[in-house]
Formats: sequence, C-alpha cells, structure tokens
Amino acid sequence: MNVDLGILIDPLSVFMALVVSGVSFLIHVYSTSYMASDRGYARFFAYLNFFVFSMLLLVLAGNFVLLTVGWAFVGAASYLLISFWYRRETATQAGIKAFVMNVIGDLGLVLAAFLLFNETGALDYAGVFGATQDTFTENDGTLVAACLLLLVGAVAKSAQLPLHTWLADAMEGPTPVSALIHAATMVTAGVYLIARCHPLFEQAPAAADVAAIVGTVTMVYAASVALVVTDLKRVIAYSTMSQIGYMVLGVSAFAYGAGLFHLMTHAFFKALLFMGAGSVIGAMGGVQSMDRMGGFRRALPFTFVTFTIGALALASFPLFAGFFSKDEILAFSINRGGLYAVLGVIGYLAAAVTAFYAFRMVFRVFFGDEVPEARAAASGHVEHHAPENPSTGEAEDTEVGFPGPEHHYAERSLGMRAAMAPLALLAVVGGVLSIPGVTDTLEHFLEPTFEDSAFIEAEAMPSEGAELAGLAVGGLMAFAGIGLAYLLYLSRPGATLELRDRFAAVHRFLFNKWYFDELYDRLFVAPSAAFGRFGRTVVESALIQGVLIGGPSGLVRAGATLARGVQSGYLRAYALLLLFGLGGLALYFLIAAS
Amino acid sequence: MLTIHLSIVVFLPLASGLIAAFAPRAWARWIVLAGTLAVLGYAVAMIVDFDSGRPGLSYATDDEWIPELGIHYALGIDGLNLFLVALTALLWAISTLVAAFKDYERPRLFFFQLALAETAVLGAFCAQDLALFVAFFDLMLVPFYFLIGGWGEGQRVAATTKLVIYTLVGSLLMLAGAVALGVLSAPAGGEASFLLTDLEAASLPEGTQQWIFLLFAAAFLVKMPAFPLHGWMPDGYRATPLPVLVLFSGVVSKVGAYGFLRVVLPILPDGAQHFQELLLIIAVVSILYGSVLAFSQDDARLVVGYSSIAQLGFITLGIFALDPKGAQGALLQMINHGLVTAGLFFIIAVLAARAGGSELLSRMGGIAYRAPVLAGLFLVVALATLAMPGSANFVAELLILFGVLEDKLVYGILAGAGVALAAVYMIRFYQRAMHHRVGTGVDSRDVRGVELVAIASVVVVIIGLGVYPQLVVERSERATVAKVRPAEQVADRGGEAVAAPAPAASGPAPGAGGVPGSRGGQPVPVGPDGQPIPVGPDGQPIPVGPDGQPVPVGPDGQPVPVPPQPGQAP
Repeated sequence: MNVDLGILIDPLSVFMALVVSGVSFLIHVYSTSYMASDRGYARFFAYLNFFVFSMLLLVLAGNFVLLTVGWAFVGAASYLLISFWYRRETATQAGIKAFVMNVIGDLGLVLAAFLLFNETGALDYAGVFGATQDTFTENDGTLVAACLLLLVGAVAKSAQLPLHTWLADAMEGPTPVSALIHAATMVTAGVYLIARCHPLFEQAPAAADVAAIVGTVTMVYAASVALVVTDLKRVIAYSTMSQIGYMVLGVSAFAYGAGLFHLMTHAFFKALLFMGAGSVIGAMGGVQSMDRMGGFRRALPFTFVTFTIGALALASFPLFAGFFSKDEILAFSINRGGLYAVLGVIGYLAAAVTAFYAFRMVFRVFFGDEVPEARAAASGHVEHHAPENPSTGEAEDTEVGFPGPEHHYAERSLGMRAAMAPLALLAVVGGVLSIPGVTDTLEHFLEPTFEDSAFIEAEAMPSEGAELAGLAVGGLMAFAGIGLAYLLYLSRPGATLELRDRFAAVHRFLFNKWYFDELYDRLFVAPSAAFGRFGRTVVESALIQGVLIGGPSGLVRAGATLARGVQSGYLRAYALLLLFGLGGLALYFLIAAS
Repeated sequence: MLTIHLSIVVFLPLASGLIAAFAPRAWARWIVLAGTLAVLGYAVAMIVDFDSGRPGLSYATDDEWIPELGIHYALGIDGLNLFLVALTALLWAISTLVAAFKDYERPRLFFFQLALAETAVLGAFCAQDLALFVAFFDLMLVPFYFLIGGWGEGQRVAATTKLVIYTLVGSLLMLAGAVALGVLSAPAGGEASFLLTDLEAASLPEGTQQWIFLLFAAAFLVKMPAFPLHGWMPDGYRATPLPVLVLFSGVVSKVGAYGFLRVVLPILPDGAQHFQELLLIIAVVSILYGSVLAFSQDDARLVVGYSSIAQLGFITLGIFALDPKGAQGALLQMINHGLVTAGLFFIIAVLAARAGGSELLSRMGGIAYRAPVLAGLFLVVALATLAMPGSANFVAELLILFGVLEDKLVYGILAGAGVALAAVYMIRFYQRAMHHRVGTGVDSRDVRGVELVAIASVVVVIIGLGVYPQLVVERSERATVAKVRPAEQVADRGGEAVAAPAPAASGPAPGAGGVPGSRGGQPVPVGPDGQPIPVGPDGQPIPVGPDGQPVPVGPDGQPVPVPPQPGQAP
C-alpha cells in the first residue's frame, strides 16, 4: 500500500480550482466589510483560508487518500465556521451535527477506497480508473457497492437526502460562510466527486441511477420546503440543496458538461443571493425572519437590483446564467430516455417551484409596506436591536464582541458592493459559455477529462432542436413560477395566508421539513442517549461493578464470614467441633470398611 | 550503528530514583527528571540510528539469568518496541516535568516510585524472555499501587484495591500461562527455555495453545482495559493523580496490546486464530460501548477513560485482524493513543484549574475566547483523537480498517460506526469545555508555563506524526509483519492445525524477531523480504508454496503436484 502526496491537474480540477478561488476571493472582499466589527475577525479569516486550502486540496488531489484528507479538512473548516459564534448553543449544536454527518460521508469514502484498492490494487485515480474496465464487468456487485459508498460521501457533503439535515442548521454561521461554503463551493464537492469518478459510475450504471434518483428527490424535497420556510438564509439554503440536486442529476445522467456548468453558474448566483441576504440582514440589524421584512426596494436599491438578478438566474429566467445551465441538464436527461426522461420532466416541474420561491423572497423582502428598519435604512441608519439569537430569540451573550456590535449593508460598504457587482454581472452573462448551437466553450475545455466517456459523443447529446425546445419549456416554467408569486404576494396580498390556513396539515408538514429532524432524533439520537444512560446505570453499576466485581468479592467475603464464625474462641465450641469431626471420620471408615 | 546498552536505558530511571531517594528533598524531582530526560535522549538516538532494513534485534543483550529454569536476561529492540520505548521515554519526561512543578507530600518517595515505574515499563517493552517480561509486567504494579494509593484523590483506597486485585488476577493467570508455555515447549528430554525465540520455534498442539491463549488474553485485556474487564477503570482513573494517569493510560495500557503482538501471536498462532472471532467481538463491543459511554459522561476524565476503551478496541481489532496491515495500524495507533490521551489529560488538568478544581463538563465552558492558545492546542488534540484524516490516527485507523475489512467485513463496518461516534464524543467534550457561555465560577485565562510546555510538546509530536507517519510505519513494518505472519498463515489455511509441518517450514524463528544464532548457533537464512527461508536437511532452500507449505520438488527440480491429503484444506 503506497500513497503519494499526488496532485492531479486536468481540465476538471483546473475548472474547480478556478470556481473555488474566484468565488472565495470575492467573498473575502465582502467579508472585510461584513465582519469588520466582529471581535473574531482574525480567527474568521484564518478559518476561511483554511477552508480554501482544504477545498483546493480536495479538488487537486490525485488519489483517494489525499481526496479523503481534503474532504475531511473541508468538513472541519465547515464545522469551525458554522460554530464560529460559539457562544450560541444553536451554533455549536449545528456544528456537531454537520461534523458528524460529514464524518459519515468520510467513512463512506474510506470504505469505497478500500473496495477499489482491494480489487484494483491502486489508490490513485489513474490506477483505479485505468483498471476499471478490465477489473469489473458492468454493474459488478463490488463496483456498485463502491460507487454507492462514494455516493454516501457525496450525499453527506452535498446535503442530499438522507444526509441533508445539517445544511439548514449550518446557516448559524456568518453569512459570508453560507455564501462561500454552504452554497458555492464545499457543498458542490459531491458533484465534483461523481464527475471525477465517472469511469466508475459509467461502469456501474445502477449506482448512477441511484444517484440520479437521490438528486431528483432532493431537488423536489428542498424546493417544497423552501416554499414555506421564513428564515431568509434558510430559504436560500434549501434552494442550494435543490439546485445541487439538479447537478447530481446532471452528472449522474453522465451530462458532465451540463452538471458542471450549472455548478459554476450556481456558484455565481447563489453566492450573490447570500451576499444580498447578508446585506438585508445587516440593514435589519441581524434579524433573519422574512416575516419582519418588507419594502426594502427603496432603502436598498443596490441590494434590490443584485438580489433580483440572482433570483432571476436562480429561476432560470431566459438569458440569465441559470437558464442555460439548468436546461442543458434537463434536455440531456430527457434525451437519455427511460428513467432519466421521467427525472427530467420532474426537473422541469421543480423549476417552476424554484421560480416561485425565488420571487417569494424578492416580493416579501423588497416589496410591500416598509418596515421600520427599511425606513431607517432609507435615511442612512441601521436599526439596532438588542442582540438576540436569530433562530431562538434568546438574548445574545455580547461579552466577547461577536457577532460584532455593528451591522453592515451593501449601500454603505464599498467592500460588499465590490464583491456583489462582479457576481451580478456573471449571473447575467455566465450563460454565454454554453449556449446551444452558439458556444460550447466549457464543454470543449472539459473534454480531455471526459474523453474516455461514452456519453460525450455527438449521438449521446440532445439535438439542437430538442435543446431549444427545452429552453422554451424552461422559460415558460420560469414565467409561470414568477407569475404565480406575483399573483399571490403582490396583486392579492394575504392570499398565501388563506392558502396556509386551508392546507394547514400540508403547511405543517413542509414547515417541519417533512419531520426529518424528528425522525433522526427518534432513530439515532434518543436511542444512543438512552443506551448511554442504560450503560451508565445498568451495565456499569449492576453488571460490571455488581456481578463481575461484587460476585467474586462477595463470595470471598461470605467464605470469610463463615470461617470467622467458626473461630469463635469458645473452648466448648472447639470441643464440639472436634467431636463432630471424630464422629464423622469414624462413620466414614465404618462405611468404607463395609 | 551506535553501541547502546539497553540495560543502562532500562535501569537508568531506577538508578536516578534511588539517588533521589537519598538526596536532599528539594533535589529529588530534578534528579529523576534528569534520568527521564537521559532515557528520552537514548530513545531519540535509537530512532535515528535504527536501521529498518536490519532483521532481528538491535542492541540485544542475552545472558543466562536462572539457568536451572532456562530463564535468560534478554533485552532487545526491534521495530515492534522501538516507538513504544520512545513513547514511554517522552511521556515520562513530560509527566515528571509537570509533577516536578507540583507539591507532593514525601517527594523523594513519590519520584522514586515514578522512576521505578519507568524502569518496569521499559523492561516489559524490551524483554525478550517471557519470564523476564512477566517479571517486569508485574513489577509495574508495585509503583502504581503506591502512587495511586499514596497520592491519589477521592476514593483512592477502594480504587487501588480494585485495580490491584483486577490486574493481579490477570497477572497470575499470565504467570501460569508463562510457566506452562516454558514447560510444555521444552523439547523432550531437553531443557526448558523462556527465550521468546525458542518459544516461537516450538510449536505446541492446538488444544494447549488455546487454553494458554486465554490465560494471556485475560491479563492483557484487563490491562488495556477492554469491555467487560474494565471494572477498575472508572474508579481507578478518578483516583489517580493526573501526571500518573497520563502514564497509566498513555503507556501502561499499551503493554497489554504490545503483549499480544510480542508474545501471543508469534507463540500461540493457533490459539490466536481459534479465538479470533471472540477477540474481534470484544474489540467491536469495546469500541461501540466505550464510545457511547464516552459521550454520556459528565466527568471529563471518564470521557477520556471510556474513549480509551474504544481506542484500545480499535487496537485489538487491528491485532486480531491477523493481517499485516491491521497489525501495523494497531502499532501506530498505540503510539497515537498514548500521545492524545496524554494531551487530553494535561488539558483536563488545565481546565479543572480554571473551573474551580472541578473536572465536570457541566462546570466548564466558554473559555476559548480568553484562552485561544489552549483552544487551539485542544482542537488539534481533539481532531487527532477522532482520527481526522491528515492525522497519524487516521492513517492508523485506515490501516486497521483495511486489515479487518479484507476478511472480516462485518467487524470492519461495525467499527466504522465507532469512527462516527468518536466525532460525537470529542466534539462534545471540546464544545462543553471551550465553547458556550462562560460557566459560573469559571476563570478564563490562557495556559502558560510548564503546562503549556507539556501540552505543546505533545501537540508538536502529534502534528509531526500526522505529517510523516511513515517514520513509524517504515521502521516497524518488518518486525510487525513477522509477528503476525504465523497466525495469519494459520488463519489463511482456514484454521487447519499446523499438525506436523516440515520442521524447517514451521520452525520459523522469524528472521526479524530472533536473536541470531540463539539456538544451536545456526544462523537463520533470511529471504530478501525478511522472511526466513526454509532450509532442507541438506542446507538447500526448500521451495515454499504461497500457503507456506513446502512444495515437493521432483528430481528434475520441478514442483510435483501432491494429491490432497484427507482432512487438509486444499
């Protein structure tokens, strides 16, 4: 077993490294303003840079062991940044949840590496992938198992079902962290992993089918939850899960170019949305609930414009970046037919939902009546509340000065605007890298990585006509979703409340995120806590101390008591004993003699 | 190659302890500290000087001690004990340093006991004669009995009694096993010998190996401890003074695991194979049970105590995978675990000093902001403990899991759950101590002085090994693989008794473990891979099949197929 510190540079890793370093540069710029008054300023940047290092290690690793190291470092950086404001118990709880789920993913990766090593004798990508064709037949049991274990790693890192519950809680971290780690880069690592291991998945299409289904189910699930969540950051977090579902579907359908294209455009517009949300939250003085927002259009014009651009790209409004990338995935998926056609159709329907919740945010935050904070911001102030934990309303412990006492929003911070403007531009024009029938720059660039794939031949691609038809359908979906949101939130305010009351059970189900947290609590957390109590009280005290120690020592003690009782010190007792003894002996010899 | 007399290394601490016992009170601690530092110097010199390509023992000593009983005074270093000796030297130096800055009653006696304990542990690690190993193994108990009973905290008398009785019973069982081994291994009409190499060369019948195996296993599992033989641990850990506990948990627990590799696997391969499942079950249960209890404790010491049960479960798992990778992982994990527990116990001392002397997690919290150095050091130790990829612990667990998964998939997957649980208990411990709001009565200030030196030096070694685990893996590979090989071969043959293999093929005296020329002055030919080459009566090498069985050779030098014998696995 030999593991080198191997680095692999190929178009895929260069592409990932560009996305990671580009977006993280802008987010560093944003953070210089956003975190300015936080007393953990230096620590924040130390963690952030540790993250960038880890992420680059992950995408540049040339073998599975180094990949696992990067994979776990990224998880650790994510943990540190989620619990960055560690005086909040909600933040530390979210951190431990994210860490443990990520460790489960790491474990999947390690086990997968073992299975591959066992069969191919290699741990580096070149060795494993080179031997795949000769070692495994199609859908070989071991290979499918290895791919499913890789999928466990991917699912944990990319917050796909069923290991998704940590991502919404990860919003406890500072907003730039949500933008960088929990939207643009780390959570897309699962997509990268599947794309990187495409020779394995193509040889194990059964595992790829599972991945595609997982992606689609997550896409629908997260979009449905995003409809009802009221915490602004959490809406975007669920949207992230949903969009990663599209990417997972893409790369599992072997539409690598499309999946990675969406990864890139998503990194632009989702980072932008989080930055805009951070700006709004800054203007709100730290409040994150959309229930308390409204009418920021006039007070935050820059944020309004950029956020809306991000929302349009997310909704895949025609000609915005997300429009081309999302539709490329779905067109490719439908073109493959069978299962994938069904998944593709579901994807189009989810796109309408996406457009709806994207504009639900826009309309609820920037339209409607101006809240006091919006009026204050319009006159250049920030409404300061007594610091409180946005998720529980608990009074904040301000002794150490973080979260910082000041709040910042884009209209008053050059750094924040400087980061948001380029992203807004990219969210508008990012699609030009791959317009059907016009450009295929990105696919061409990535081609060397995927040239061994059977799915980059021209015949595997959807025809130009099909792609254009797909674009038309996607555009219609975007219009439908945005139009519905306009109808419900702007032209008939209050309509959503009626809907909520009429379908109270559905709302409750969605609002509680399909009860996944409660389910996991029942299934894993509560039983292990109960087992811990059982171990402490019953096993330790009764079995270990009682039986294993108490038993033998009790036996010795009982024997000692008996012996001590005999040694009474009375002569008559000894004489009696002597008599009994002699009698017994005589009896024995009499019986023995007869 | 340097000339190092192991006897000096082993008895240097005792000598310094004796001098300290008669020196002025104020000097005692510094004399013993100087002794431990000298041993540390020797250990570093040995690591630098060690030639990982060299078969057999380095710096070996072999004198007759009690010729009537065939007992030798034999010491030696190979890849198996090199780093354990180094770990002992390092932790003793650090612990003695920390203890030197505290005030203990009767300091001369305290430091003498500390020094005696180091000699006993070093002796147990270096011994190459079973009787000598047993003697040092039991000698360890004496100083720790006095250290815990005399300078302990809380319910120290009850705790000491429990600990002593537990380990003593184990020791007695092992003594019986050792005597049986020596007597039964003696060639018919010949004299008994307790030299490990001689015992390895003699192959006992399978049934005999089995009951002797159980005797040894009991002693070693108690020492570790493993579930369900850990009854002494909670009370014992709570009562032991912290610098002593660092040694007890960090080093002494490893003697048990080391005993499996040094004594049990090479001498009792059939026994080990026979009880492999049992030991794997004990290992997995220890991992899961220890982990779950670790995250339901409020007492920080017991968090580490139960986590040790889990970590030693991993080590047992690696050893009884009966696979070279697993054993190498186990050895590396012994070093790692020694380092991280030492770090954690020193950190607990610092935390308790800030929480008004309490070691309960519920009384701690919130000091990370004013103690950033401590928070950083603690974070490194915590992440290493939960086997973060990038740490040597990860490499070790990876090797262990790879070793186990190969043949025993289920155990490997169950143990994998332990990896996730480790994340739960370590992060929980870290958060409760460092994060959240400042606990009432908690005085947050950073770590400094001798405690900083202690924790930082452990952390430096942890990071160093994380960057370059190859240091250990490379030097230990040859010896570790040789120790596992006999049991592995038995296991590969599906547990078929090595009833009567050709003496040359099974009388392995594995090249890497034998004192050259120890029996009959015959050098053992060694192949390029460090494995002994079986030699026929004519001195010609016998071709060996992949299963370790000699391949019959026809007159033309070509292998001749043999008809399978009844009762023998194909």
